[in-house]
Amino acid sequence: MATEPVDVLIIGGGASGAAMAWSLAETRMRIVCLEQGGWMNPAEYPSTRKGWELERFAGPYSLSPNGRGRREDYPINDENSPIKISNFNAVGGSTILYAAHFPRFHPSDFRVKSLDGVAEDWPIDYTTLEPFYDLNARMMGVAGLSGDPAYPPKELPLPPVPLGKLGETLARGFNRLGWHWWPSDSAIATKEYEGRAPCINLGPCLIGCAQGAKGSTDVTYWPVAIREGVELRTHCRVREITVDENGLATGAVYIDAEGNEHHQRAEVVIMACNGVGTPRLLLNSKSRQFPDGLANSSGRVGRNLMFHPYAMVQGLFEEPLEGYKGPTGCSIISQEFYETDSSRGFVRGYSAEMLRGMGPVSTAVWGMSSGRLPWGTDHHAAYDRLWDRTAGMVLICEDLPELENRVTLDPELVDADGIPAPKIDYRLSENSRKMLDHAVARSTEVLEAAGAVETWSEAPLPPAGWHLMGTARMGVDPGSSVVDAVGRAHDVKNLFIVDGSVFVTSGGVNPTNTLQAISLYVADYIKKNLSTLLD
Amino acid sequence: MDELPLLEPTLRAVLNELIPGRGPSLPGAGDLGLGDSVKDRLADSWAGVAGALTELDAKARALGGEDGFAFLPDETRSDLLREVAGSHPGFLEGVVFHLYAGYYQHPRVVEALGLENRPPYPKGYSLEPGDPGLLEPVRDRPRLYRETE
Repeated sequence: MATEPVDVLIIGGGASGAAMAWSLAETRMRIVCLEQGGWMNPAEYPSTRKGWELERFAGPYSLSPNGRGRREDYPINDENSPIKISNFNAVGGSTILYAAHFPRFHPSDFRVKSLDGVAEDWPIDYTTLEPFYDLNARMMGVAGLSGDPAYPPKELPLPPVPLGKLGETLARGFNRLGWHWWPSDSAIATKEYEGRAPCINLGPCLIGCAQGAKGSTDVTYWPVAIREGVELRTHCRVREITVDENGLATGAVYIDAEGNEHHQRAEVVIMACNGVGTPRLLLNSKSRQFPDGLANSSGRVGRNLMFHPYAMVQGLFEEPLEGYKGPTGCSIISQEFYETDSSRGFVRGYSAEMLRGMGPVSTAVWGMSSGRLPWGTDHHAAYDRLWDRTAGMVLICEDLPELENRVTLDPELVDADGIPAPKIDYRLSENSRKMLDHAVARSTEVLEAAGAVETWSEAPLPPAGWHLMGTARMGVDPGSSVVDAVGRAHDVKNLFIVDGSVFVTSGGVNPTNTLQAISLYVADYIKKNLSTLLD
Repeated sequence: MDELPLLEPTLRAVLNELIPGRGPSLPGAGDLGLGDSVKDRLADSWAGVAGALTELDAKARALGGEDGFAFLPDETRSDLLREVAGSHPGFLEGVVFHLYAGYYQHPRVVEALGLENRPPYPKGYSLEPGDPGLLEPVRDRPRLYRETE
């Protein structure tokens, strides 16, 4: 069934698609966004129920799309990867379940080849994105504190998330070692902001924010974009992007909630499907003109997949830390080891982001699985030692692009609509392994300096595949990249990509702020060049 | 056949063995009545658990406890539970997981930990902003990022 043509078709209503929709809305063009998920209802999030803690581990709010059993998700074969995919499909995309850590890239992240002799430089730089980082901070409602020596000067609209006793304890550990730390930039409304209620320190940000204080795009960009006239169609799963005989995109074929197939025609198609969903759709969009998948003359679609290899290091303290209160992942960040120092034996670096503690059930389940909480006569004494006495951090290591780390189409696996599902092939590089080792050792030091009487670690952290980057990368050379410096496909001039796929390198920080800044920057380019966009 | 009525005293004794009571504020897990919820959560594998419970009673009687496992002396129960668990792989692991999860969200236990018996939302928690003076040594550092221009 063909539908009325529109000016702009955005595929994906998550972090970057929402930002794009909002930015383009002022043009008064006809804009439609197709999102395979639906609207979430914060009143149904687990933190409204007493049994909320167990819902982190299984069910519709758990990390892996393969285990959730939601029709809105698509399966992903990630068996050949030590890091498993964690994404979410809904209005708001993975921001529904993210921690809302909102750091920017460093200036050096855009110049890794020039500075460190590895990977490639980006065709844009920090200065290019800086005004869009600022704009995104206002739209998402970012909390933080000015004056961080790890960054060029920046202003944020909201005061930082409280440190709490746990954050202070860890901060003192960093100070004892003379290492950098700073209150995290967080997309969390620490005060009432643009109609959003303030954070009340519920804790379980990673299973949805019932308060609506966390900056997921269903409560930030989307309400404004829809008010401005953008049409958001939910439960619409795109099967392929269509092209004409000239190789221009003509729209997309999608399947609605009732299983009916539609062809949405459009003058411009913008992909915002994340670093796995975008290459999947491009590879599923084969045609006579593009037999290897759309926009894939370089053969780079799906290649150079980057995660952030994560380590988690935790410690046991002797005093209660009130760690069950406050945003799960957001208190303080350390970038002491972010910039390259060749004496460490690896290039590039990592961030350390502090974790709050656990609730009563999580403490018990973790205590059981780690062998620290026996049953029997010693049970209560052991629980007393664990309860509210754990704190730690995750280490987010920069991943470098490698051609063999990639997304392809699984030859057998399909989603609920019969569309071929993605397959992940990924291995950890030697550089990443050395970086993880360094990160674990330094984090152990700082936890001990903060007073931990016992520490433990896990690296790489298997379920930490939530940052998906590099699979349709940006570059000036059409032979080695998929899109140009403004996100336009080299092969298809009315096709743009604005999600994490376009990242040239990964940096060592959470990517949402940067991919949204890129989306706003591409939107700005489109708006400024509307009359000549397709010349 | 629903085997719970016959095995209820044994299951209750096992749960009390796994998480014993401590003082008036923390009853044993069996005395808190968690047997039904453990059985519900282990419905798919209950036959194996019931087999282990039956064996516990049989071995208890062989040791002279005519009324079964629940009536053995304290020190004997623990040893016998470990012995039977060794011959029924997975028996205790499943029970312990669901027992721990149920015990630590029971209102009496939650309150004994010093918490209010409620979900996080809508009341939330208060959290101290922290001592801003802790940042002074960090503020005094030279910039850490590299210029690229």
